[in-house]
Amino acid sequence: MRTTRTRSVLIYLRTMALFLAAWALAAWWKDKPVLLPSPLAAIEAFVELAGGMELFEHAGISLARLLLSLALASALAIPLGLAMGLRPTLDRVVDPTVELLRPISGIAWIPLALFIFGIGNALPVFIMTYAAFFPILLGTIAAVRTVDARLVDAARTMGVPRRGIVTHVVMPAALPSLLVALRLGVASAWTAVVAAELIGAPSGLGYAIEWYRELLMTPQVMAFIAMIGILGYLCDRAVRELSVALTPWAPESAASR
Amino acid sequence: MTARFAQGWLLPIALIATWQAVGSTVQNPRMPLPSKVVTAFLRMIADGDLPMAIAQSLSRVFMGFMVAASIAIPLGLAMGHVRAIERNVDPLVESFRPVAAIAILPLAILWFGTGTGAAVLIVAYAAFFPIIINTVAGAKRINPTLLQAAATMGLTRMRTIRTVVVPAALPSIGVGLRIGMGVAWTAIVAAELAVGAKAGGGGSGGIGQMMFVFYAYSIELNRIIVCMIGVGIVALLLDRLIRWALRAAMPWTAR
Repeated sequence: MRTTRTRSVLIYLRTMALFLAAWALAAWWKDKPVLLPSPLAAIEAFVELAGGMELFEHAGISLARLLLSLALASALAIPLGLAMGLRPTLDRVVDPTVELLRPISGIAWIPLALFIFGIGNALPVFIMTYAAFFPILLGTIAAVRTVDARLVDAARTMGVPRRGIVTHVVMPAALPSLLVALRLGVASAWTAVVAAELIGAPSGLGYAIEWYRELLMTPQVMAFIAMIGILGYLCDRAVRELSVALTPWAPESAASR
Repeated sequence: MTARFAQGWLLPIALIATWQAVGSTVQNPRMPLPSKVVTAFLRMIADGDLPMAIAQSLSRVFMGFMVAASIAIPLGLAMGHVRAIERNVDPLVESFRPVAAIAILPLAILWFGTGTGAAVLIVAYAAFFPIIINTVAGAKRINPTLLQAAATMGLTRMRTIRTVVVPAALPSIGVGLRIGMGVAWTAIVAAELAVGAKAGGGGSGGIGQMMFVFYAYSIELNRIIVCMIGVGIVALLLDRLIRWALRAAMPWTAR
């Protein structure tokens, strides 16, 4: 176990070293630092931005927006999803509206939202909440439907009230799939944050990237792009760890990928 | 049946009616109203603006999608079939996957300017990851007995891939293509919006840029909403089209 792990780390490092070497070669060949700076310049910019805390300031802002909009999206989508999954009538009434809105991506709302909210915090939070809402809602509905009906029947036979059935039977049974849905929501919101900040926010990672592009400081642009990748990975990892911690009984396959 | 059907339309109709009723009381000529959206929609179709913009965005999506598929499918098959290739290439794929496609837009603008090149790069980048991940998964899920049978019969590696691995991986590749197309359409709207917003009005075109012009220059909310509806309709149609094409190509996967 230990050796395979070390080995995969080594292979990872080798691949990335080869990539960096190819990049360095291409940069040297092209010899246009504004278009394609060397990997060294990008790493230097990353260290410098990290040292001056600028990197973490923008990252913190983007992360705070992500958390806020995930909380909002979950607070709206999970109760609605539970209700729609448990009551077919409600599902029939609400589902067509959801299906009408869902194809309109969060990003397509940006111009209208810009007009309503202006440039600031509200715009990215709205766009990300919208983007995260649909995967969480659909995932919750699907999760509720996969709950074994016999468990619900058993609880009902034993006289558990409806509220108790939801909190003690449906929720625990649906939790693993619900966390998968949350993961999709995180991914969807994280994609939207960059677009929303790029266009309509005075701060955050998306804004920083665009700021440095206008200054033609390409190494800094690359440093922020790397930060977006790192945080995207860490957010995904965090939800995966959360699902392992909250639902240790669920098969790993449900939690991974 | 009709009663159930009617149930579904109840809420959208109620919402639109409320919007019309409440909106009519607002004393602002810019207030968007469903009735105005419909007239704007008809006018934009009649003068050809909307179809033109959508056609331009779609052509970029198809170009980027083709680039992504033509790299991701062969590479994914190789990764799924040969363990050593997967081990060595996977770190690269997994390192770039969390980077949102829009994040590389500034680089794309630097390299290709604000025209079609940058948009195609973003689309290709966005569509690449769902396609490759599903292709790898499809090529790995293959029944090992089939591979052993192929080896017993002395098939060469290329022939095994062509006649055994590809057919087995096709349904999964299809899923990847469908997800990739959805992501690609979202990405093109974002790319065109951002180009419109950051590189000045002219030049790029497409539905995303059209929306931004309506926001920033002429402030026509009804037309922005028409564009949003257009984005939604195209997303829906693309998804249906790919589903239909996949079912026609692989009738055995029909559920």
